[in-house]
Amino acid sequence: MFNESAVINIVSEAPAGVPDCLTKKDFESNQDVRWCPGCGDYAVLAQVQKLLPTLGIARENFAFISGIGCSSRFPYYMETYGMHSIHGRAPAIASGLKLARPDLSVWVVTGDGDALAIGGNHFVHAMRRNVDLKILLLNNRIYGLTKGQYSPTSEMGKKTKTTPMGSIDRPFNPLALALGAGATFVARALDTDLAHLQSVLARAAQHKGTAFVEIYQNCIVFNDGAYDKLTDKATRADARVLLEHGKPMVFGKDRNRGIVMRGMQAEAVTIGENGITEADLLVHDETADNSALAFFLSQFEGPDFPVPLGVFRAVETPTYQDRAACQAAEARIAKGQGELDDLLGSGDTWTIE
Amino acid sequence: MALLITDDCINCTVCEPECPNSAISAGDDRYVIDADKCTECVGHFDESQCIDVCPVDCIIVDPARTESPEQLQDKYEKLMAA
Repeated sequence: MFNESAVINIVSEAPAGVPDCLTKKDFESNQDVRWCPGCGDYAVLAQVQKLLPTLGIARENFAFISGIGCSSRFPYYMETYGMHSIHGRAPAIASGLKLARPDLSVWVVTGDGDALAIGGNHFVHAMRRNVDLKILLLNNRIYGLTKGQYSPTSEMGKKTKTTPMGSIDRPFNPLALALGAGATFVARALDTDLAHLQSVLARAAQHKGTAFVEIYQNCIVFNDGAYDKLTDKATRADARVLLEHGKPMVFGKDRNRGIVMRGMQAEAVTIGENGITEADLLVHDETADNSALAFFLSQFEGPDFPVPLGVFRAVETPTYQDRAACQAAEARIAKGQGELDDLLGSGDTWTIE
Repeated sequence: MALLITDDCINCTVCEPECPNSAISAGDDRYVIDADKCTECVGHFDESQCIDVCPVDCIIVDPARTESPEQLQDKYEKLMAA
């Protein structure tokens, strides 16, 4: 199905010493990075290259799988194994890889078009299966590679080349979609907040199961300023809330705003007004029994609410590849190793004359 | 004064080709400016080109490198003569 040229960046050398010796440079390929100057993708690439040497995993045990789009050029720039694969199908290919080689650290890099339009089907099934994949969705809310058409995350009313009078499509909320499909790790980060992005990626790397990270990423050419309120130093403190497990949701440049729950309604409040104290604020819980809180948070958007960044949900359940290995082991105990030819020739068979 | 790229740099490469003095290059963690080559665009443009294009506003005047407009002009002329 795949031609050999699709399999890129083969690491032909022996492992570069023990993993502790690896540095960011060891994960930089010799390819010229061909994103537009100013693109947020560079930030994600640099942070991933910075993270990998800290994970204690040999370089040849990483694989980066992508689909199609600007973000999907990612594997070319990683000095790891990788595949620039089929549009929207990276989760399927990565799932197969992880099942065949559970010892590998398998990463999917995708975009809002690749993951949520043509790949929407594969995306939700990766979430529900809980295959041990790290899925990074670089969301710039536009089709960049094809030069500026609206995407499944473009906001209503947005004027693009394919929506000259403004989009009438209601956008996907990628986090809500992932949570609805049963994702066990869901997080959001920003391309320009490097330390926070690094910490979220590190958490995703440690998760056992499908780890989904949505990264708000600026497209400087076709959707510049999409996240200005969240990134601008003058507005960002009031426009976003950084989620911390076990801590009350406080935000604002004076750290005096917070979130309270009134029944099933959230409200952004000011601490000190109307008798509100920090003790009244909603406390974040990544490991809640169900995903209701995370889903609630995923609905927050400006200007009424701060946009949450950080880990929304992180719970442990058996991974798909562990369940598959368990079932295969049970089958071997019950029926022996088995032969493929015997299996294919078993059951009801016909001879056509 | 020469310019300085702070650790807010996202490594997006946009500044490198804009520099008329070829003072900007990729560093280990972020892009860096060679202060000996940076004239803040004095001699070339009215405004510092890198500051103008940086999408995350991470380029500032280096507080450790104070130079007057005359010194920058002098640096520019020496760079051009070299």
